[in-house]
Amino acid sequence: MMGLANLLGLETSAAAPREASHFQPKAKRIIHFFLNGGPSHVDTFDPKPALHRYAGKPLPQTRLTERKTGAAFPSPFQFQRYGQSGIEVSELFSKTAQHIDDIAVIRSMQAQVPNHEPSLMLMNCGDSVQARPSLGSWLLYGLGSENENLPGFVSMCPGGYPIKSTENWQSAFLPGVYQGTYVDSLHRTVDRLIENIRSPHATTAGQRRQLDLLKQINLEHQQSRLDSRLNARIQSYELAFRMQTEAADAFDVSRESKEVQAMYGTHVHGRQTLIARRLLERGVRFVQLWHGAGQPWDNHEKIEENHRKLAAEIDQPIAALLTDLKQRGMLEDTLVIWGGEFGRTPTVELSGNTSKLGRDHNHYGFSVWMAGGGIKGGTVYGSTDEFGFAAQENPTSIHDLHATILHLMGLDHEQLTYRYAGRDFRLTDVHGDVIRRILA
Amino acid sequence: MRSRCLQLFCLAFLTGLQPVSAAAIPQVWWANQPLNVSADSAATIDEFIQQKLAFKGLQSSPPASRRDLIRRVTFDLTGLPPSPEEVAQFLSDTSPNAYGRLLDRLLNSPHYGEQWARHWLDLARYSDTKGYVYAREESRYVHSSSYRDWVVSALNQDMGYDRFVLLQLAADQLEAPESAHLAAMGFLTLGRRFLGVTHDIIDDRIDVVTQSLLGLTVACARCHDHKFDPIPTADYYSLYGIFQNSLERLVPAGRGSPDADFNQELSKRQSTLTKTQAQRKHEQEDRVRTRIKDHLLAQFELDRYPEENFGQLLSENDLNPIFVRRWQSLIDRSKQEPSSLFSLWHAYTALPAQDYAKQAAFLKVRSGSALLNKAFATPPASKEEVATRYASILDAVRGQWQEQLKQKPDSTRLEDPDAEQWRQLLYGPESPCLIPAGHIANTELFYPINVVTELWRVQGEVDRWLMESPHAPAYATILEDRRQLGSSRIFLRGSPSNKGAEVPRRFLQAIAGANASPFTQGSGRLELAQAIVNPSNPLTARVLVNRVWMHHFGQGLVRTSSDFGTRTPSPEHLELLDWLALRFMQDGWSLKKLHRLILSSQTYQQSTAGPVAEDLLAKAQIKDPENRLLWRMNPHRLTFEEWRDAWLTASGSLDIRLGGRSLELFHPDNRRRTLYATVDRANLANAFRTFDFANPDLTIPKRTETIVPQQALFGMNHPFVAEQARSLIKRLQQHPAADNTARIVRLYELLFQRPPASHEVQASLDFLNQPEPEPAKERLTAKDWQYGMGTWNESAGRLEGFRRLPHFNGKAWQGGDRWPDVKHGWAQLTAEGGHPGNDRKHAVARRWTAPQEGLYHMHSSLNHEPKAGDGIRAFVGHSVKGQLLAASVHGSEVPLNLTSLTMKAGETIDFVVDIGGGLNSDQFLWAPVITLAGTTGSGGDQEGEQWDAKKDFPAPQVSELSPWEQLAQVLMLSNEFLFVD
Repeated sequence: MMGLANLLGLETSAAAPREASHFQPKAKRIIHFFLNGGPSHVDTFDPKPALHRYAGKPLPQTRLTERKTGAAFPSPFQFQRYGQSGIEVSELFSKTAQHIDDIAVIRSMQAQVPNHEPSLMLMNCGDSVQARPSLGSWLLYGLGSENENLPGFVSMCPGGYPIKSTENWQSAFLPGVYQGTYVDSLHRTVDRLIENIRSPHATTAGQRRQLDLLKQINLEHQQSRLDSRLNARIQSYELAFRMQTEAADAFDVSRESKEVQAMYGTHVHGRQTLIARRLLERGVRFVQLWHGAGQPWDNHEKIEENHRKLAAEIDQPIAALLTDLKQRGMLEDTLVIWGGEFGRTPTVELSGNTSKLGRDHNHYGFSVWMAGGGIKGGTVYGSTDEFGFAAQENPTSIHDLHATILHLMGLDHEQLTYRYAGRDFRLTDVHGDVIRRILA
Repeated sequence: MRSRCLQLFCLAFLTGLQPVSAAAIPQVWWANQPLNVSADSAATIDEFIQQKLAFKGLQSSPPASRRDLIRRVTFDLTGLPPSPEEVAQFLSDTSPNAYGRLLDRLLNSPHYGEQWARHWLDLARYSDTKGYVYAREESRYVHSSSYRDWVVSALNQDMGYDRFVLLQLAADQLEAPESAHLAAMGFLTLGRRFLGVTHDIIDDRIDVVTQSLLGLTVACARCHDHKFDPIPTADYYSLYGIFQNSLERLVPAGRGSPDADFNQELSKRQSTLTKTQAQRKHEQEDRVRTRIKDHLLAQFELDRYPEENFGQLLSENDLNPIFVRRWQSLIDRSKQEPSSLFSLWHAYTALPAQDYAKQAAFLKVRSGSALLNKAFATPPASKEEVATRYASILDAVRGQWQEQLKQKPDSTRLEDPDAEQWRQLLYGPESPCLIPAGHIANTELFYPINVVTELWRVQGEVDRWLMESPHAPAYATILEDRRQLGSSRIFLRGSPSNKGAEVPRRFLQAIAGANASPFTQGSGRLELAQAIVNPSNPLTARVLVNRVWMHHFGQGLVRTSSDFGTRTPSPEHLELLDWLALRFMQDGWSLKKLHRLILSSQTYQQSTAGPVAEDLLAKAQIKDPENRLLWRMNPHRLTFEEWRDAWLTASGSLDIRLGGRSLELFHPDNRRRTLYATVDRANLANAFRTFDFANPDLTIPKRTETIVPQQALFGMNHPFVAEQARSLIKRLQQHPAADNTARIVRLYELLFQRPPASHEVQASLDFLNQPEPEPAKERLTAKDWQYGMGTWNESAGRLEGFRRLPHFNGKAWQGGDRWPDVKHGWAQLTAEGGHPGNDRKHAVARRWTAPQEGLYHMHSSLNHEPKAGDGIRAFVGHSVKGQLLAASVHGSEVPLNLTSLTMKAGETIDFVVDIGGGLNSDQFLWAPVITLAGTTGSGGDQEGEQWDAKKDFPAPQVSELSPWEQLAQVLMLSNEFLFVD
């Protein structure tokens, strides 16, 4: 495994990646579809027929959320059983549902508060408030990257940043090199996708000449000196030179066949999912695909119209990715994660006393699913109550989810620590249990 | 003489220390023990170092060359390279005190303060912005640059470190209004805003104070006693109480501005702010007073009123949890007072719901209040009725008071003492209905969302005026003690809803002992600061001298420079650390004297190469590979700031003015030291992140150091680097150097402060021996395109008022240097597409003129990708035939093609785009390709000529670097430039 350690040339061992699994990993890489804003679980992967009985009437018990909600609001979408497992999925994700036997749906996720900002931080970094390293940063720190010519942790979001912008992929007290590299996938040319990847003032041949001279000067300088950093820096220029070519190649989806491009779709979500597959294939450790700038899934109003539109944008790319990974034999060691920062209320959001035909935030219970590397497909884990308001059976914290993800990557969440400010920090703080029942 | 003196000093500390109770403080460890230097200890830094080296059989390195030495110490003290002239002067100065004079010069340089301020700002988690805030709040801090400039100036003046600390924690109590030193409090008030959640803001303050000043990680004790250090949760909440009783205020830190217009506008905005604040506060308090019944009933379902980190959007009609919780707290506190007005409340609400009425009838309770006794003349039927009866008393008293005010507006109390004590519950200084006066940052949670938005808006108006007007004086955000002090209670497991025992505001027991006396003045913030810099506290001086040592040598004597806790082993050179700490305090906490002491040592001045003898070198590398004992000097890799500043210095473009507002790192006009680049913690410049800049959300004692290809890419490809290479060569050409060799010599001197060796000159000459890059060739077809704007006349189907876009930035045609442009707005055309102007009158148009008569085809695809906004309109118009095609697109792509179009020479086709409905996310991709099918009459089978909008677009004007500039860039990126021996 080629990690970053040999590039870092660090004297302080604490900053170098550990680059060793605690045990045999099931997955080598992760792709995370982040439906930012909060997709409604009762409209996607957690059917609640009981809501129809209460349609337009108050539920026997409701809970406090960010805004005021009113009567029960049955899902406007049709659910149907799919696959051998017969798990019910709504029409919004009918294409993804074709792969349900590869998917484990966790229906009992819980966050801590009904607000986007802390919940985004919790889902990404394991803490609602303090500046803590993101999951991707921990993975890079723990495992390094398998391709030194590409950034090991890439966050793509078309059109701009999600809420909380770069904090979502921050490295916090881990070295800056472990932070996610942001890519605005709305762009098409590589120099707008990755910073400094193209020279506006040198040709490739000219740059090669420059780097040859630089190497010659640096080697002579190094001769009489005792400093491992000098060599690391010489190497870094050679890597950077190669990265220019390799990154351009990795981000160029036109190199895929027409059939593959058509399978993913040529709109931005198809394109960014296909780029993600090309990156994963090249050894990138963690790719996060955000739905869009801001918080597109935050449908406080007109959820039927809005969720339908949003789901239509990603259902095909997700299904295509699952098919494609399977065909390439990559699904068995690629972990696919789907979810938002929380779910939505089974009750309708009100403006004064008027229905907004939408749903408020719900951190008491929501769904996340995982597929691929080490996951027992066709599984449903946990449940929410009769109406989908709160996790009931096997409530699952974000720490549990993180512990499970790290476990699948061959890392023990209690052992993956970093000493900062006099304390050994973990992604899961002092919590987290691996969800054994969804493991293959 | 000297060591005896130190010994006495040290004994004085010992006797000053309080007895330590083993039970209360489980651990005593080296760092909380008094400074201790034995009588027979070494007398100089070099003696301390040599003793340990000798003990291990190691030897130090020979002195560094004088050229290395001046380069080392100049970077170290000022963050800048020496000039070639300064080096030459130092090399030729053979007097014994040449080095001493060099130190004098550097310590007196104003750049000393800039360089060492940056080290401090890393600890102070300095940022110019607040971190993530909701859109309603101004995201920049008014007072960041004045804090930064205060640190620079304090260091340049060699302010004693004790005073430096005192001012940063309590300048409000030490300085007069308008004192420039008030800016020091930015240390506390420039942290993250945490979306206004008080507990987190206070936590951040506790963390920055204890880690940076004391080397203790007290924030670990927020939820439970510290795992390793003797810091109980109680200590955390002792400090919490200090900050909880301190409120923020924005104040001038200097004399007002003489500019009348500035002052007039400022007072206008301030008066709007004050009026709005007062009015909204009054309204909201009255809103609470008129709904006492609801607040009291809410006491029976408190779980519906969450703590402040559970963000709810509240309207004016909602009960605000913070008032419900304040009533709860008032009622809770009254439990301890048997004669309180709530005695009956406690008695009646304690009854079980079952058989309530029966049990209530049995209860015989009376109170000291006639009004209360009257209200409960008959037993209540339910808990809820208890609440409504209490509410009716308060409502009646409120009515009575309002009535009295109408008669006698200057009343201060009700006549009847019984009624008056009820009135106090509504209007008294401890009433739960009251909102603390002051900054919206402290009071946001008390208001409904529309009021919060309004108050931030009016506050923002003041803030922006202070930040953006060139006439604004310095401002500071200080803390001030609350007038009504609140007590501090432990939050069990860190949860504010789970309150434990009350704790006194006082200093840490690990330092002040278990019997540390409570602070008595106000919040105790000044006393805290005094306790921190009290010479009997051994941590403060130890931590500081270790930090200074770390920056000079690359590693501290204690490696974990912000963690002097029990898990940190006693350092090998503890005695040296203590010796330095004592000297430091004896020298009046003078940093400059400390620098001089360290920099004058042979240890600092030795070479980085190690002992000359190979066996000694090998031995050192085996026995002490990390160089803990300092058998050589550690080479220093320039930080990003030092690297950028050194480039600007070499290229002759560094703007060395001190102080002032921050400027975007890569703003085209930014030639200032990197210290003055904007630090936006919500969106830190990528270059900062790539180069291990200190994370501005956390106190950073030592930056991590990485070497990654992204850094190399920056050096190779970032326009800023190329620009510096260009400036450097321009500077070189101005130098009257006779030939290339002389120029290469000068280049080396400017960059490395040394002449090149002859083989280096030759290597450079060989590199220069290459053809100049050819200017990019323009395609012949390029001249047939024009890039402009106009208005699409729908009825005529033509573009009217076509005029060219005036500015080409190398990649796009647009209005001017900045985009959007003041006059032309967002209008822009690129090789692949563009962006329409701001309204329907300002369409963008790519105009193609047919060079010859013929039959043409046009093929294109118009793509508008963003989901946001309402899309764009596009038209293809012929100069004679009018509109040929039209389309509206929004988040979609349409083909726009024409076949067999006859054109005469000079006729034009306009590819026009304007906005859909409004201006929002209107960028598009549209690069038509026009093919000449054949000249008319030729039969149309000739191989056509092609005009490709993308390929014909002007090549970037940013041309290739010249061979000289390429050479300069190579040297600027070299290890010799980046590493200081």
